[in-house]
Amino acid sequence: MKNLYISTGMAALFVAAALGSACAGDYTPVTDARLQNPEPQNWLMTRGNYQGWSYSALDQINVGNVKGLTPVWSMSTGVDSGHESPPIVNNGIMFITTPYSQVIALEAATGKLLWRYKRKLPEGFSALHNTNRGVALYGDKVYVAGLDAVVVALDAKTGKVAWESKVENWKTGYYQTMAPLVVKGKILTGIAGGEFGVRGFVVALDAETGKEVWKTYTVPAPGETGSETWLKADTWKTGGASTWMTGNYDVATNTVYWGTGNASPWFGDQRPGDNLFTSSTIALDGDTGKMKGHFQYHQNESWDWDEMNAPMLVDFQKDGKTTKGLLKPARNGYLYWLGRNDDGSIKYIKSEGYVPQDAFKSIDADGRPDVDLAHKPATGKAAKFCPGLWGGKDWPYEAYNPKTGMVYIPSNENHCNTLEGKVEKLVPGQWWTGVAVPDLNYSVDTKAGFYGELQAYDVNTGKRAWRDLYSNSMMWGSVLTTAGGVLFTGGTNDRMFRAYDATTGDELWHFRTNSGIIAPPSTFAVDGVQYIAVQSGFGVDAAFQQSLMADLVGWNADVPQGGVVWVFAINK
Amino acid sequence: MHDRRIRGAWPLGRRTLLRAALALAPWLVARASAANSEPAPDPTEMRPQIGDHFVFLDGPYEGKLAHVEDLTLGGPQYQAYPASPEGVVRDGSRLNLIILARVGVEGVGEETRARAADGVVGYSGVCTHQGCPVNMWSEEKKALVCSCHGSTYDPRNGAELLFGPAPRPLPALPLKSDKGLLLVAGAFTSRVGIEPH
Repeated sequence: MKNLYISTGMAALFVAAALGSACAGDYTPVTDARLQNPEPQNWLMTRGNYQGWSYSALDQINVGNVKGLTPVWSMSTGVDSGHESPPIVNNGIMFITTPYSQVIALEAATGKLLWRYKRKLPEGFSALHNTNRGVALYGDKVYVAGLDAVVVALDAKTGKVAWESKVENWKTGYYQTMAPLVVKGKILTGIAGGEFGVRGFVVALDAETGKEVWKTYTVPAPGETGSETWLKADTWKTGGASTWMTGNYDVATNTVYWGTGNASPWFGDQRPGDNLFTSSTIALDGDTGKMKGHFQYHQNESWDWDEMNAPMLVDFQKDGKTTKGLLKPARNGYLYWLGRNDDGSIKYIKSEGYVPQDAFKSIDADGRPDVDLAHKPATGKAAKFCPGLWGGKDWPYEAYNPKTGMVYIPSNENHCNTLEGKVEKLVPGQWWTGVAVPDLNYSVDTKAGFYGELQAYDVNTGKRAWRDLYSNSMMWGSVLTTAGGVLFTGGTNDRMFRAYDATTGDELWHFRTNSGIIAPPSTFAVDGVQYIAVQSGFGVDAAFQQSLMADLVGWNADVPQGGVVWVFAINK
Repeated sequence: MHDRRIRGAWPLGRRTLLRAALALAPWLVARASAANSEPAPDPTEMRPQIGDHFVFLDGPYEGKLAHVEDLTLGGPQYQAYPASPEGVVRDGSRLNLIILARVGVEGVGEETRARAADGVVGYSGVCTHQGCPVNMWSEEKKALVCSCHGSTYDPRNGAELLFGPAPRPLPALPLKSDKGLLLVAGAFTSRVGIEPH
């Protein structure tokens, strides 16, 4: 690519990027220090930093020039279905993952293929979501959580397997889709399978050997803290609280924040009690996995509202003082401000609805909702609730920009579900929610002017600063924001990749890709040039919801599938 | 309601049955010796063989041999695994998951009717989209539904796709009936499982 714009002011910034002329032989080991203070030119972990901001300090691409963004290279992954992983970049080497747990290493600036790892899944294997949400980097290895509940360590230079470590038995419904989290020489991973009667956990493996260091279950066994919230015998054994998204990490207090899924089966009357630690944020000691604190967003879950995304570590203003906080747009439709205490305990501060929600009448001073039972489904009792089971937002990442002081939330509204539970017998490894897929009764307000949206809120005042409404699409795009005052996202069914002014919400640029984008964008720099990267590959729940919308409001169900990596830069 | 005890119900666990079957079937060992270098295939992983029975995995007759009368006319389907006449349940491979549905004769396509036994049709229970069990039933569409992403198949017409992301119909498994006992009459009509990746 010729004529790439290079800011003279960037020279100092890229002193540390001397290794930028990439080849796998030059691989720069990833250390704890680098993960704790990632260089601006790199994107070393899923959300860019341990705080989970999805923010980059790069500003070469900015509000003033983003209109000149042009493709530099692209590459077909050769894989179908939902691509949900961000390009992870370490000094010029890019790692992406695809559905079915493939890992591809590329030269980040040129797109040259370095190696590809294809995981051989067991015969007869199936997973509700075949996707993968990215690698973790540490030392000279690349870590991927295999769909078949096996964590794999690869040599970053060659892609050869260094070790494999089984974390659970896939035949009983456990699987993995998230990117692992590295914490001081350990590879942390959670588990998916909430629709299959699993018992969630977070496990830490030794980064060098793959041996288990600690494992913490998210549903307590009898006698353990929280077990008193499982009032019916044995319901804890299949109680859910899966852990299917990557956690965030507070280096200062050595605390890992991880989100948990809803309880199993879906209908609360079948498992009386609050059901800790389902639909919660849990705080774990990074060395031991000991639970130091928790916050449960809603008790006795009955809406399939997982709270699987860990909150972002954001310090905000409260009563005129800076408060060490956690910020989380929850699937239940509320935006939560929580206190991040030094001892790991989590204090509820306040919450505001960011989409209309009819299941809570109010939320009390401790953060506990007063549930409107008319909108809480149960066994033999149909109830409609809004937003529907995909929530105010599903897994796509919100972003926080410290320069604007705003959080950017990809969200959906004007959609509902009507569910009625049944008592079902568990067949190991099979769907066990208490309601069958044909009976999910998804519905939308057909007169609504929009369904998907992108919203910006001031983290200090809680006021909405702007929003962009999508009249003919849901929103499944994770958000990237930068010091250039720009925000990047996809997520719509029209295959667009968009750039917004992070302050005003004005759309500054768009580009129509091969497929719908449901993967998080990332940004990096090589040899002083900033790039924006994203995978486009529609599928999984976004495609399922699109097919339902085709029936309900006539959208085109055929959003093309097939993954492609796109890398953009400014064409002078 | 018929008496299950005289209908070939198996009160033992599957693995027990497997052990018993192996003990009583020295020919398996003999065959392995004859092949000399190749070990005998694990009978629990072999695809359905002509003459195999079916053992229900779910439904009111879970663990019992499948008969035409066990299935409700008009649906829903039940899941089953094939089992050798000696009692070896072929549940060693998920790709052997079968669904049985009693669709009757009305509205049933010619090819499907030819593969049916007394109005019962058999298909692979493995969705061609992502390999999930097709173990749900749409009463509205009278159709087979995948438990992951809702692909919906018409049991009366070769499991043609009615809705959802699956790329192709479910492979059919030809059936026959021996006085109501359901048996495998032929091999799957196409490759079972998802597209290779």
